[in-house]
Amino acid sequence: MITLYDYELSGNCYKIRLLLSMLGIRHEKHAIEFYPAAEHRKEAFLAINPLGELPVLQDGELTLRDSQAILVYLASEYDTSGNWYPLQDPRTLATVTQWLCFANAITASAGGARLADGFFHPLDADACRSEAHRLFRVLDEHLWFQERERQDWVATTASPSIADIACFPYIMLSEEGGISRIDYPAIRRWTDRVKRIPGFIPMPGVFPAGPGL
Amino acid sequence: MIDLEAARYLWHPIAASSDLVPRHVFHAQILGRELALWRADDDNVNAWENRCLHRGVRLSIGINDGTELLCQYHGWRYANRTAGCTYIPAHPADAPARTICNNTYPAMEQYGLVWSGESPEGPLPVLSTVDTSFFTPLRAVTVNATSQDLLLPLIQGYTTRLPASDDNRPRYGADTPDAFTIILRVADRSQTGSTPVADIAFFLQPVDAGRTTIRGILCGIDEHNTDAQTLNDLLRFHNRLLCTIRDRLESTLADAPSPAPWIPIIAAVSENQASLPAMSDTGNSTPLRIRVASIDSLSPTVRHFRFEPLDDLPESQLPTAQPGAHIDVQLPNGLVRQYSLINGPGETDHYAIAVKREAASRGGSQALHEQLRVGDLLASSVPRNNFTLRRDAEHTHLIAGGIGLTPLLAMARALHHMGRPYTLHHFAAQDTELLFQSELQAMSGEYLCHVGLTPSQTAATMAELLATPDAHQHLYLCGPAPMLQCARDTAAACQWPEHTVHFEYFSNPEARDDSSAFEVDLARSGLSLNVPAGQSLLSVLRENGVTLPSSCEQGACGTCRVTVLDGTPDHQDVYLSESEKARGDCLMSCVSRARSQKLTLDL
Repeated sequence: MITLYDYELSGNCYKIRLLLSMLGIRHEKHAIEFYPAAEHRKEAFLAINPLGELPVLQDGELTLRDSQAILVYLASEYDTSGNWYPLQDPRTLATVTQWLCFANAITASAGGARLADGFFHPLDADACRSEAHRLFRVLDEHLWFQERERQDWVATTASPSIADIACFPYIMLSEEGGISRIDYPAIRRWTDRVKRIPGFIPMPGVFPAGPGL
Repeated sequence: MIDLEAARYLWHPIAASSDLVPRHVFHAQILGRELALWRADDDNVNAWENRCLHRGVRLSIGINDGTELLCQYHGWRYANRTAGCTYIPAHPADAPARTICNNTYPAMEQYGLVWSGESPEGPLPVLSTVDTSFFTPLRAVTVNATSQDLLLPLIQGYTTRLPASDDNRPRYGADTPDAFTIILRVADRSQTGSTPVADIAFFLQPVDAGRTTIRGILCGIDEHNTDAQTLNDLLRFHNRLLCTIRDRLESTLADAPSPAPWIPIIAAVSENQASLPAMSDTGNSTPLRIRVASIDSLSPTVRHFRFEPLDDLPESQLPTAQPGAHIDVQLPNGLVRQYSLINGPGETDHYAIAVKREAASRGGSQALHEQLRVGDLLASSVPRNNFTLRRDAEHTHLIAGGIGLTPLLAMARALHHMGRPYTLHHFAAQDTELLFQSELQAMSGEYLCHVGLTPSQTAATMAELLATPDAHQHLYLCGPAPMLQCARDTAAACQWPEHTVHFEYFSNPEARDDSSAFEVDLARSGLSLNVPAGQSLLSVLRENGVTLPSSCEQGACGTCRVTVLDGTPDHQDVYLSESEKARGDCLMSCVSRARSQKLTLDL
């Protein structure tokens, strides 16, 4: 059985919950209270992940940290379609990886502003916000031109990839860090599309979309 | 400073038409005011104040279901076009008050853009000097700067030649017909080679005090006759240039103080929404003016009438209705008759009714069938709903008899659209009475017809249908009185809980007895009145200046309901259920009287 060390309000944990749900993988969750108890900094959890970061995934003997690494593992191991992480297609695989790294930058900026505003972390929230806006401008432009070429997803894949899942949570939660998405209409349309992927589940602060046409 | 006051009366672009994809809510802003902008499935573009009337949550995070916009917080539903609330999940048995209607703003589509504004007057910017055969919107670029800050850098970005020898961009001449419009015309078409060049119109959208969106359109490029790659390159080129202009301007303005924000004034509700409709002497007032837009035969005896507002001005917009609602229509012969609306969800630009020509017509159906012509003007009441549809039942059973299908049709359409489970039973004397068959067959709910049954067969079928009562399922019944009575009796015998059985009569089949005389005390008005034999309570109230709304005036529709504080009513209506009658805390003032000598009413 797969075990996810999970915190309900974490966008990085939410990525994993999303993909587990979309791939229909049975798992159990082990709740780690990030705030206010800071259980992720306690001895018991540090034994599992010396970095003291969530999420952590255990699958048999394998213990894996880092949300992007976990997404790569789950898609490679359990996705029979081969679409979520297209191992057979080096060029597409590289664009997926490129956007996985971009997702990390979103976590550091938009996610950082949310940590500062909502969880009282000593981060420079204004710097986080302006970096997030810089990234959102890049992503919105990319998605606008993708739409013109009838591409629905961040990487050049015909169906959603783990890059969409990796980028989604901290974009969707950006308003909790004081970052409005009003100037990013192509991002807003893309978030509707992600919400309509079969198996989508919400989290606190992320609402579901209605059915599409 | 831009002239904010003048800008309120202008049309501004707030989105590209292509931004409004189906089932999406676009988050727009103009002059500091946020708008929830959404396209319904009938292609109508709605521009609404971006807040739910309930708890102020942004409607731009709501759900566009193609006909209505749902707030994410408590699920209030607002109708396409009117923005009137149609359903409040926390009050599933009640029709929302007509005053629950969001602020709407005008919206129109032109040049590939969506235009709106606070109270725009006059025309859109006219593009007289460019090729207007085709418009291709550029990607909108939002800049953290005012429109005046932006005006010159934007023009210079397009007109200044770079020293580099490879600057083979087209040369433009600029014209600014108003403070928000820039027309760039290609000055020299000779050097352009194979790349298509186009005149450009830029519209500066004043988003808020410190933000402006550049909405550009390429003029005269036929996209269908242009290679997709070429067009994409062109769009990318302009996007790059606009982003460069943006980045340069923002860096020069980086240390400038940010301007004071524009605070939009959000009107509470419009005055005609807030004030209660005036009551006429007759009580069933018909303040709306409607035009007969079409008349179609649905069967040898049933016609479909489509009524539209007299014009498309916002003040002529028809008030919002919900499934189960009816209107009182004043007919050419002076009669006032009630008809259920059959509109589906989001069909808010007209009222639709289906009317059977009754052999024993008292003048209503005859007038509609014989006298009414397309183009005729009529007066109607605002929609009233005393037969409201709950949307939270585990299963909804709609049982119609003959033309009693009409309110249930509107209900079936709403339940189908919401994906709620329902079954529709249509009892009819003959096949020709089955209406809307192909639509009902195509819908998600089960649709069963029972044709030509005798009264005893009807009773047997009804007993079968209602054999297993369930407190989480609801019955809606409408049809001729004998069939309705049979259905109600069967439901009672099968022990359906009374609150799950909803019914609407066409008319009151019972003979009324107005031979009693009694007194009424009006607790609020401090009046004591005598109701003599031969006169209704309603008419005595009216004669003494106490007006209340009424509609059918025969105890069938529930409009003239009055709360009873003391005394025992003599119920003569067919609207209240048996337990409501037994409780004795309300009565229908048009037909009901008193068993006690005196009634005290909450009037």
